[in-house]
Formats: sequence, C-alpha cells, structure tokens
Amino acid sequence: MNFMIWRLHGNQAYFAAAALVVLTTILLVTGSVMAHDYAVALASCGATSSCADIGSFLFRGDGAIMDLVDLTLVTPLLFGLFWGAPLLAKEFEDGTHSLAWTQGVTRARWLRTNVMWALLAAAVWGAAMAALVTWWHNPENALGARFGTFDVQGFVPVAYSLFGVALGIAVGSVIRRVLPALATTLALFLAIRVAIGIYLRPHYETPVAKLYSLLNGKAGQPANSWAISNSIVGPGGHNYGDQFSLNELPKGCASIFPGKGGGDGGMSSCLASHGFHQLVTFQPDTRFWAFQGIEAAIFVVLAAALIGFTFWRVLSRDA
Amino acid sequence: MASGSGSTTAITTKGLGKRYGSLWALQDCTISVPRGRVTALVGPNGAGKTTLLRMLVGLSRPSTGELAVLGRAPRQDPEFLSSVGYLAQDVPLYPRLSAEDHLRLGAHLNEGWDADGARSRLAALHVPTDRPVATLSGGQRAQVGLGLALAKRPRLLLLDEPVAALDPLARREFLTTLTEAVADGDLSVMLSSHLLHDLERVCDHVLLLSSSRAQICEDIDDLLASHRMLLGRRRDLTDIERSLTVIKATQTERQTRLLVRCDGPVLDPSWEITEVGLEDIILGYMGQGDVPLGGHLNALEEVR
Repeated sequence: MNFMIWRLHGNQAYFAAAALVVLTTILLVTGSVMAHDYAVALASCGATSSCADIGSFLFRGDGAIMDLVDLTLVTPLLFGLFWGAPLLAKEFEDGTHSLAWTQGVTRARWLRTNVMWALLAAAVWGAAMAALVTWWHNPENALGARFGTFDVQGFVPVAYSLFGVALGIAVGSVIRRVLPALATTLALFLAIRVAIGIYLRPHYETPVAKLYSLLNGKAGQPANSWAISNSIVGPGGHNYGDQFSLNELPKGCASIFPGKGGGDGGMSSCLASHGFHQLVTFQPDTRFWAFQGIEAAIFVVLAAALIGFTFWRVLSRDA
Repeated sequence: MASGSGSTTAITTKGLGKRYGSLWALQDCTISVPRGRVTALVGPNGAGKTTLLRMLVGLSRPSTGELAVLGRAPRQDPEFLSSVGYLAQDVPLYPRLSAEDHLRLGAHLNEGWDADGARSRLAALHVPTDRPVATLSGGQRAQVGLGLALAKRPRLLLLDEPVAALDPLARREFLTTLTEAVADGDLSVMLSSHLLHDLERVCDHVLLLSSSRAQICEDIDDLLASHRMLLGRRRDLTDIERSLTVIKATQTERQTRLLVRCDGPVLDPSWEITEVGLEDIILGYMGQGDVPLGGHLNALEEVR
C-alpha cells in the first residue's frame, strides 16, 4: 500500500519538500537578520533614549519577503487543492479506482492509507511552516499586534492544513472529477475560513468593553489588543453605533454639523460636553494563545467530520 | 446456495437486481455458471452487463437478490478480492506509470502475485514495460490490463468489453492470451462483448442479458443442439407453439420462418429444418436480427 502511495504521489512529495527547503532558507536568513537587528536596537535604545520607536529600526526584509510570509496564508488551501481534491477525484476520473479496489487489499485499507498519508503530509508541512513563520515573527510580536498575523502563526496553520486536505478529499469523494472538485474545494475553503474568521473568531470570548472620553480618543486601549468595535454612547447609555444621523445629534451640536474648517469642527468636544463617550470593545493580547487553541480545535473537528463523511461515502456506497 | 471453496459453480445468482434511482439496470437475474467455463456475456447496450460484472467483483452492491461468486458473497476481504480478477471497461490504468510499475504495485497489493508470468507474456507480445502506459497502443494497454488481472492467479476472471476498442490483430492476440490462461489452470472466465464471432471462438457458455433480464444462461453446445430454424409455408402458429418454444417468428405472405427451441426432433415433415449458428440464436433472443430471406421474398412480391 505504502509503495503504491509513494509511486503515485512521490513527485508531489519531492516538489513540496523542495518548496519547503526554499521557504526555510529565505525565512531563516531574513529572520536571523531581523532578530539580530532587534537585539541591537533594543540595546542601543535602552542605553540612550526611549524604545518607543524601535519598530522603525527593525529590518523587516523588503516587501517581497513580507509578501512571502503573508502568502503562507494560502498554503493550506493549496494542500486542499493539490493533495486533497485529486486524491479520490483523480481515481474516479481515470477509472483507476476500479483497478485499485479490485486488488487484494480492502477498500477500507486503501482509503485509510491514502487519507492518512495526505493528512500526515499536510500536518508535517503545515507544522514546519507555522513554526518557521512564528519564529520569524518573534521580534514583531514583541512590538506589535499579534492578532494582525493570527492566521499565519501559532497552531492554526496546521489545523487549516488538515482542514484543507480533508475538505478536498471529501469534495473529491462526492464530485468525482478533478476540475469541478478543485473549484468546489476552493470556494468552500474560502467561504468557511472567511466566515469563521469574521463571524466566529471575535466572539471566542466576550470582548472587553471600555468607555473612553471622546476627547483623548483611544489612548487608553491596551497596546496590541484586537479592536472589535468602536461606537458612541450617549449620556443615557444609548449606543449610537459609529455614526450619527442628523436628527440624533444633541441640539447644541446639530448646528456645527457638518464640521467646517478642518477636523470635526468641534463636534467631539461638543458631544463630550453633553455627556457622550466612546465605547471600545477589544480582545486583549493576552488572549492570543487561547484564541489560537479555540480556532485550531474548530478546524481540526471540521477536518475529522469531513474525513468521517468521506469514509462513510466511499465505503457504504457503490464504487 | 452452494458454499465453500469446493463449490462447483463459479457464479450463482438468485433474483439479483440493481436499481439506480427508479431505473432497474438489472432485474430478477437468476443464473448459475459452472466452474471452468468461459462465459460470453452478451446483450444490447444498457442490458446490465457492466452492472452485473461490477456486482460480481464487489464494486457495487445488489439492490435485491443474492449472489455467490466461487461459493461466497462478494465482500471486502483480501481472500475474496485476490480470487477474482477484473478488467473494467476501457482498461483503466495509471497513465503515468509503466507496465512494470503496475506489476510492482500488484505485487505489493496481492498475495501470490505472478509477476514473472505476466512479464513473460508481455515480453512475448513485445509490449514495452518501461514506458508510461499512456504512450502504449490500445492493444498493448489491454494486454497490460489482462496481464495484471491474470497475475493475481484468479479463479474467476471478469472482463468488461476488453476487446471493444481493439483492431482485429490486437483482438486476436488478446483472446489468444486469454485462451492460453484458461488452458493453464482452474480458471473460470466471464467476458462481455458485442463481437459475437470473437466470443464464439473462445467461449463455451453464454449468458444473454436483454431488457435488464437474463434470457439465456447455458453451454453453447447445448444451445446449438436445442435450437433449430424451421422454414415452411405460411401457417397458423398455435399448433406448433404447443410442442415447441418459438423464440422468433418471421412471417411473410407465403413463408413462415421460425427460430425454435426443441428438446427432441421436430417430426412435422412440412418444415425444412436447419441448424442455427450462435449469432442467429442470440439475435433471435434479442428480438433483432431480421433474417434476410423473408424480407427478400417480400420485396420481390411487392415489385411484381
């Protein structure tokens, strides 16, 4: 069985390994430079003045390197498209499933071995990539908002990778043709990832809510936290959202709307004097790893469900 | 149903049926094929030939009825899978792998794999074993597919339209390979085809599916012995249908031509009785194959 996997998919493995070596080399070199610059800058700013603008001393590679790191975001999708979707769809399309499933190994064993290798490859590749990128981001993480690069570091890339492959395999088991399976995997992967990122992730824990004066803006929001919402709250506690309509404005302030002569024309101070505040909700930086754990768990559970579906589909139905 | 490996039947089915949605691909199929036979599986397109073969090898499951292959219901265990060789329609192979790769895959996937036998057969036919099979001719690919199926040393070999796409020479070579394999050992074969002449050369048993049902399942010799063509003046068929089974009647104004099944001699001297070939019998059962004589006379009369 393993010989079969290797003979059929060995080239893909070599290609993936080569790509990983290239990525590793680039990130190791630029990451080392960055870590070194950070240490030097930290030492010098500590000796002379404040370290507030240390970020500007930091080597971040050029744009291409940054882009490369950001692009690791799509590798789980690529696993789904190139390892997941064709795994069964190609066999069905070429009819070779009727060759493979009439040899002296049961269909269950054939499927188990194929799925296991695909998941293993995705997990190993995803873990290597995630570890690299997390390490590469270290100096930045110390400086800035980790939530901004939530999707490319920590555990979640591994979970996304498993999910991508599982989704591709499940789709291929239903659609049975490579190109339509690819297209469907692409659409479903993006839809699910985006939906969870936008609608679920902000609510893994109840956001912290804080009232701030309209006059000094968000100065009090904890550094590196992930802002969820920003709204204006009236004296009676009514939440106006982030925009007023004209007739909602207090009488004294309505006359200065729209603001003239730059800025908000004194609108903020007018509202502040009428007892309005700014309400900010956010997820503090300290929740980063909890959120990583929750999101990774969600995608691993989804992957497991998809694999379960695939086994049901392939084993309980006609070939 | 017979059970155990000592079963004398290669294939037994009882009321076997397969439904896709509301459509029956095969219905009420009750057959028994003895071991050691080479069975021609014939019938028009859509008669359920592929459906039957796929159920026999365990790729699909019956909707109703029972079946036993080599005395056991097809199932997912290595012993059953190893005992049945199967070559699907269009000979599916991994296009980028060579014949040698396929043979090595087979060796990893099967117990008792006969790679040497397969290699020497392919070598004798000058089939390149080191090139991707996608670059081989249809005849060569069919030989590779047959080689893989035979290398399992199966006790039952199921071939779905294996020669349909081959030129006459490749067809002859394929069937020769098959015949030699049958001569070599305890092997039952069922192969489907539209090419009745080819089948007649290699088969000794016939299973005819038509309209999703089994119409004939018996030895070709018995079939030839029990069927006759009767030719005589036109008459009412009620009498004759009492003593014979009329498979097909072709009536013209003056003549009646009958394909009949009879267990003894036909005694009525007013019939001109001739033996019938396998093809005519099968076409008769399929309700096709208008024999030209009647039509010919008819046409003459109309001209006159």
